Amino acid sequence: MSQGLAGYVIRRLLWTVPVIIAISILVFLLLRLAPQDPIDSLLGQRYDEEIAERLRQKYGYDRPLHIQYLKYVQNLFQGDLGVSTKHGDFSVAEVIIPKIRVSAGMGIMAIVLVFGLGIPVGVYAALVRGSFLDPLIIGFWLLIDSIPVFVSAVVAPWLFALQLGWVDLTYEGVLHPNIILPVFVMSLPGVAGVARLMRASVIQVSNEEYVRTARAKGLRERTVVVSHVVRNALLPMITAIGLSLPGLFAGSLFVELLFGIPGIARESLQAVLGFDFDVVLGLVLFGSVLFVLANILIDIAYGFIDPRIRITAARGG
Amino acid sequence: MSTVVAPLETGDLGTRPAPRYRFLRELVRKKIAMVAIVLITIFYLAGILAPWVSTSDPNYQRLTIEERLDTPSSEHWFGTDAAGRDLYSRVVYSARTTLIFTLVVILTGSLVLGLSLGLLAGYRGGYIDTAIMRVGEVLSGVPTLLLMLAISAAFRTRLNDVAFWLKDNTFLGDDARAVVPFLIIVGAALPFAWIGSARIVRSQVLAIREQEYILAAETIGASTTRLLIRHVFPGVLPIFLVGISASMAGIAGGEIALSYLGLGVDPSTPSFGTLLGNAGGVRTFQEYPHMLLVSGIPIILFFFSWNLLGDALVDIVEPRTYRR
Repeated sequence: MSQGLAGYVIRRLLWTVPVIIAISILVFLLLRLAPQDPIDSLLGQRYDEEIAERLRQKYGYDRPLHIQYLKYVQNLFQGDLGVSTKHGDFSVAEVIIPKIRVSAGMGIMAIVLVFGLGIPVGVYAALVRGSFLDPLIIGFWLLIDSIPVFVSAVVAPWLFALQLGWVDLTYEGVLHPNIILPVFVMSLPGVAGVARLMRASVIQVSNEEYVRTARAKGLRERTVVVSHVVRNALLPMITAIGLSLPGLFAGSLFVELLFGIPGIARESLQAVLGFDFDVVLGLVLFGSVLFVLANILIDIAYGFIDPRIRITAARGG
Repeated sequence: MSTVVAPLETGDLGTRPAPRYRFLRELVRKKIAMVAIVLITIFYLAGILAPWVSTSDPNYQRLTIEERLDTPSSEHWFGTDAAGRDLYSRVVYSARTTLIFTLVVILTGSLVLGLSLGLLAGYRGGYIDTAIMRVGEVLSGVPTLLLMLAISAAFRTRLNDVAFWLKDNTFLGDDARAVVPFLIIVGAALPFAWIGSARIVRSQVLAIREQEYILAAETIGASTTRLLIRHVFPGVLPIFLVGISASMAGIAGGEIALSYLGLGVDPSTPSFGTLLGNAGGVRTFQEYPHMLLVSGIPIILFFFSWNLLGDALVDIVEPRTYRR
């Protein structure tokens, strides 16, 4: 049976190879065919035709497109993502890895917060369904979810730093307490989604026969809820957690912009605006590969936890 | 994944209302959903009627000290911005931008692309299905905002040339300057707009395909197109609407985020993104809170209404999680 799972994973992996190649070609063409290139944005006002020509030669932008692409892929297979024109020829890895560290650090805290709040909120809402509390709780978190980050990232610092003076706004690294406010601002909108998913899952599990059996044999309500309902209702959370993993490394653009955090999302924006070819391409590929891996991990996790799913998965369902 | 075979309904088939009407009746019964629909309607009406309900030209600048950065008053209901433009009128016209953008993206992306690809994938199955769904899977894995930024940035540099060409060669005239960036952001949103609805439609088609009435229609020789449109589509419709209302905030948010960064609509076109961008950072908020509040509250209510409506619709379509 595990061979079936392995076959399934291999088939999935094989399917993603052409799609990722297609994405890389698309993004490559999108950037290269735009009437602007990194040299334009690098030289800006001091544009000199001769210098521009020499720079284009240096980076190989004067060669035919297919040669440029093949060269890129060749370097890629040697673990070389290219160089950043904007950051004075530092390699892409040197530019993005420190920033990914920052974003991932915040991302881990955000995931813990989102699920740490969302799961209990969802369970509670499911347990009090039928009363006014359920729609009130879910409605409250939906309201939080509806506040755009570029509004909350202005109002929250104003309230907590300028009015109440509880926090400082300077960025002092991921492990400094100053990071708490931006992490809250980026996480709280996500709670509603997790809470709703958990609520629906708890309600669905509550209708299962084995829960009725547990009640019928006289188990205490607490035991029924904790070990029969909630434990099983956590299953769909695997998908939710798995799918949020790639986001760990993506960062939150508006939080990084408005709080002045040197994360990867801000770097992505600057790379796009400066047409920093290799950095943009590297980031898109990195994100896509992470997403595919996360999806496969989810499938494998289910295979281990729930043998019923393993059979369906092995059949390619 | 088990296949549930629904028992054939017998008895008073004639008096039972069609599922579509049941869907509507359940919706009317939900108070929160109705409040959300009313709020959404007000927002959209403001957008449609913008030229009539606005009190001033949204782009008219009043560059005097008294009229710049004015707080709300009887003359300027929402105050004015740094260029002395009437914020109430700008908010109303921003609603129009959001309205047009969401409508275009939903119609082309979710409805035309998403529905047809979803129907195709679910009904045909096999290689077509795998190809469509895998492309969708990887597309939804690409950092969406990053790719939208890249698409938008890549096409913007040619913006002026195209706008002038359109102005001279088509009926658009002076509107061309606003239309081109708008089309660019629609184009940036489309690759991502179809995925969600295609997925929903496909899974519904898979469930419906096995029902007896489809088999019956197939047996009497209905063509694939007829089968899809007459028999499969009505069954898919309710859950498709749920998907759309759930994705609405995200679609509208895409335009707002791009415009906030200056990569969305033309700066002369009012948009919640540019309004919120102009409302600035913490210090500006401290000094002139009205700028953020008057544009922030409408858009929060808009997102909130769609979220509430989506939540209520899920309850109707998934009766097992009913709030009773």
